[in-house]
Amino acid sequence: MMTEGGLAESIGNHGDTLRRFSNARVAEHLLVMFTVGILVTTGLSQKFYHLDVSRWLILKLGGMDTVKLIHRFAGIVFGATMLFHMVIAVIGIALRKWSPSMMINAKDFSDAVHNIKYYAGAEDLPAVCDRYTYKQKFQYWGILTGGLLMILTGSLLWFPALVTGFLPGEFIPAAKTLHTDEALVIFLFISLWHIYNSIFSPEVFPLDTSIFTGHISMKRMLREHPAELARIEGVGLGEILKERQRDMQETG
Amino acid sequence: VSKKGIGLLLFLLFMAVTVSSRLAAAGEQILSDEATACLGCHGRRGIVKKFENGETMAAYVEAATFKASVHNSLGCRGCHPEFSTGIHPSRRFRSKRQYQIRCSLVCRRCHSGNQMRNSHVGEALFQEERQGKPVVCSDCHGSHSIMPTGAKTFKTEEQYCMSCHEHSIIMDFRNGETLSFTVDKPALESSVHNELSCSDCHPGFSPKKHPRRIFGSRRDYAITSSESCRRCHFDKYTRTRASIHYTLISRGDLRPPSCTDCHGFHNISRGSKEKLSIAGKCRRCHQAIYDLYAESIHGRSLFDEHNLDVPVCTDCHVAHEIVNPLTLDYRRRIPEICSNCHSDKTIMAKYGLSTDIRTYVSDFHGNGMYFDGKQRKLLLRPTGPIAVCTDCHGTHTIQKTLDTDTAIIKANLEKRCRQCHDGAINTIPDKWLSHYKPSMKRTPIVFLVKVIYKIFIPVLVIGLLLQIVLHIWHYASNR
Repeated sequence: MMTEGGLAESIGNHGDTLRRFSNARVAEHLLVMFTVGILVTTGLSQKFYHLDVSRWLILKLGGMDTVKLIHRFAGIVFGATMLFHMVIAVIGIALRKWSPSMMINAKDFSDAVHNIKYYAGAEDLPAVCDRYTYKQKFQYWGILTGGLLMILTGSLLWFPALVTGFLPGEFIPAAKTLHTDEALVIFLFISLWHIYNSIFSPEVFPLDTSIFTGHISMKRMLREHPAELARIEGVGLGEILKERQRDMQETG
Repeated sequence: VSKKGIGLLLFLLFMAVTVSSRLAAAGEQILSDEATACLGCHGRRGIVKKFENGETMAAYVEAATFKASVHNSLGCRGCHPEFSTGIHPSRRFRSKRQYQIRCSLVCRRCHSGNQMRNSHVGEALFQEERQGKPVVCSDCHGSHSIMPTGAKTFKTEEQYCMSCHEHSIIMDFRNGETLSFTVDKPALESSVHNELSCSDCHPGFSPKKHPRRIFGSRRDYAITSSESCRRCHFDKYTRTRASIHYTLISRGDLRPPSCTDCHGFHNISRGSKEKLSIAGKCRRCHQAIYDLYAESIHGRSLFDEHNLDVPVCTDCHVAHEIVNPLTLDYRRRIPEICSNCHSDKTIMAKYGLSTDIRTYVSDFHGNGMYFDGKQRKLLLRPTGPIAVCTDCHGTHTIQKTLDTDTAIIKANLEKRCRQCHDGAINTIPDKWLSHYKPSMKRTPIVFLVKVIYKIFIPVLVIGLLLQIVLHIWHYASNR
């Protein structure tokens, strides 16, 4: 990973990249991306069925029943991906193969406050983040909890007769409200926050490719994940931070 | 003379012959089947009526004379009501005079006393009659040869027609039915059509023309007569053509109603919006449905409380373009039909009923129904069977859902849910939103979820947007 030329040299060379995600994670993201895309289009066109665009889409896809069918099977794939991910994550962490780097801790909150101050000009330097920044954790947990809610309520709506056998009937309209409102939350969250952070943000524009290629540039590691970089390089955090400051002053 | 001249002459001759033969045909009175049958015997000389006192009288009727008489359209039964093609009673009279006196009584069936008193002669005759001397009309007027007086002038067509049709005239139909052709003059005068003349509705008839028409049955006649209405009411007629009634009639079923069955004819009044009378009209044929309706919440409110907010037959089925309610097109329109009243806040407020039609429209059933029509038309692929209002509430049997026996309603609803959703448990109808907006009292879970998201979504969106704006501002100002 690390060339013999020393830290500054390795970071200064912008062509150098670090392996950030395994192929399994890349595949996972692609699956989630496509299924969520299908779920959101087929779902929201049912929610806003009176809009011209929804009507066009539903009729193009072959009618309401087909759309519902597509939605349910995309839901199965999405649900399976989510469950697989969670099982793998729990096992990986339990076997101490992975560190629980996605866990939210107190530092994430202070990082968020710090960065808001930094963006507003009240701090000179951005927060020192580890493998995942507070923004990434927010997106991850957002889609994970939201996705779980969708899977749960979606199953309730798929089998209303079965569900009301052991749950009060009110759970069906409640699940419907939750499913449709949470869908809107996920849609807004992805289209505003995730798309901004991974496409339009000046830090990554035109596209944050790390989740597709599995690699991240050393420069971005230095700026966004200095704590992780220090651990990987086996050097002190102070040295990394000095390097980051130098790098930022150079490029502005 | 040139060849052209001869050709023209021949042509004119041909035209003259055609026109004159047509005119002759038009002028000739065709006798009814019945009269022709009677004349089969009575048209031959030699038939003699014998009286008890030994007198005799020829029972011969000269066909040509009768055809030329003013009463030719009455046929034989008009004046000899006891006789018909099948019935020929043998009657005994003491003398020729007694027979003549009896026969003269028939004349008064049409020619009332008033009509005769108007003349000096008539007045004198009545005087004699009061003194015991019978009046024998045929002494002066003859019998089968009564000619038009010619002296009589009519100011209007109506006067002319009524001179006969005010009296009891009976029309015979081929199937043996009869129908009085007597026109009720006061009813005609108070009808909405009182400004029209007879031939407006009876085209082809006039003081000059009185074609003889023979109909199979009274029903046949009623349906044919209704054809006249479209001469003015073409819009209504066009709409009627789309109706199930018209379809059935055009298939040869004569039972469905035509215009006159609901609107009447000579006594026709302005299209009544009076709900009770509308229901009464439909009842004549749809008694079973009327009975169901009368027991429903709508029917009971109408009949018991005279509540005019409720729908009657025509509110859902409309008046003229009554389509087959079993068609898919009609079924798809049911939510719209019900919402005509049930989304009206002013009406529903009186009964404390929900007007929130979205609880159906934007739910699974409603949006499926919304696409059903479009899919059928554009993709030729219908959606699955979808419940509309009537599937759960019933059609003519609709009952209150609020304070009637909820156990029955729940049981019915459960049964209905199970038709599509296998194994639906009774908790579904119990806790379904039942067309009311979620509220803390009725459905607290749904209500709370809604409230939470109502707060959460804007907070989230505003928070994220602020972050993004700040982020962009940071990079924009640094450069």
